[in-house]
Amino acid sequence: PGWSPRLVPARGRKSRHAPPAKSKAGRLKLPPPVDPEELLVVLERYRQHRLVLGALRAEFRAEVLQKKREERLGGEDSAELLEEHRRLMAWNDEENARQRARREERLRKEAEEEKRRKLEVAEKQARKMEDFMKEKEKEVLQLQEEAKSFITLENLDARIEECLDNPRNYNFAIDKDGRVVKRTVLS
Amino acid sequence: MPMKGRFPVRRTLRYLSQGDVVFKSAVKVMTVNYNTAGELSEGARKFVFFSIPQIQYKNPWVQIMLFRNMTPSPFLRFYLDNGEQVLVDVENKTNKEITEHVKKILGKSKETLEKEERERKKLSHPATFGPKKYHLRECMCEIEGQVPCPAFVPLPKEMRGKYKAAMKNEA
Repeated sequence: PGWSPRLVPARGRKSRHAPPAKSKAGRLKLPPPVDPEELLVVLERYRQHRLVLGALRAEFRAEVLQKKREERLGGEDSAELLEEHRRLMAWNDEENARQRARREERLRKEAEEEKRRKLEVAEKQARKMEDFMKEKEKEVLQLQEEAKSFITLENLDARIEECLDNPRNYNFAIDKDGRVVKRTVLS
Repeated sequence: MPMKGRFPVRRTLRYLSQGDVVFKSAVKVMTVNYNTAGELSEGARKFVFFSIPQIQYKNPWVQIMLFRNMTPSPFLRFYLDNGEQVLVDVENKTNKEITEHVKKILGKSKETLEKEERERKKLSHPATFGPKKYHLRECMCEIEGQVPCPAFVPLPKEMRGKYKAAMKNEA
């Protein structure tokens, strides 16, 4: 984009459709004169300046990025931290082992408790059965005893004779304490 | 309007900022397996109810998942970014014990936290003035003992430019 002479200058106050002023009819605008040697020198200096500045900027940008990256990845003494981490993990494992021991202890105790309770129940059951059997045995024996004095067809006649021979007198009165008070003679 | 939930203090900023478990940057996921009934999980239940909001507040980028009634005994599991898994058995432990344990194995130590705090403070200078977002004060008029803001209290005549100019012109 050289500074070529314009025939129509860029408008300031006037719109693009307004004609230029009469006093500017023959005006030819030219760019300012340039000394070629000076131009070369100045351009060279500017080039170097911009080169240096660009390099500096890139340098600083890279530095900031590097710092940020290190920040993000946690810039640390890797060896030390790994060591620390391993130590803590080992401690955690120990803690877990202790917990496991405690848990097993507890489970074992509970299992024992369970077994003891079961045993107790079984014993109680057995005892109950035993008592029951004893009761039944006693009853059977008692019945056997009583059976000796039962009236059967054989001693029917004999027992009838016996009853008729010994009349029993039920005519008696009782007071509140159960002692016999009065007896009436059997007629 | 009443507060929401059974222990609404858990939702206050003051309570949340009192949490002191800040995980190391390697921890990505925390998983808690516990039971809703049973005395063995009591500590775990309390931990989930009271301590986890504090932990999540301090570690917003750590994913925390809760699993209920999936295993007979409660435990915590941490997944680190190098693939390592850390198992923590919490059966028959109280809430406090669990937090202490977790802080010890995977939390940032107090020195690290203080160092980070100091680094953060170094970035901004407390004596500069500017927008409230980046600085402490915006104008000198905010400080006690200094000239108050002319927007609220008009300056005495002697300090005003028009008076001084008038005096100069007079003299």
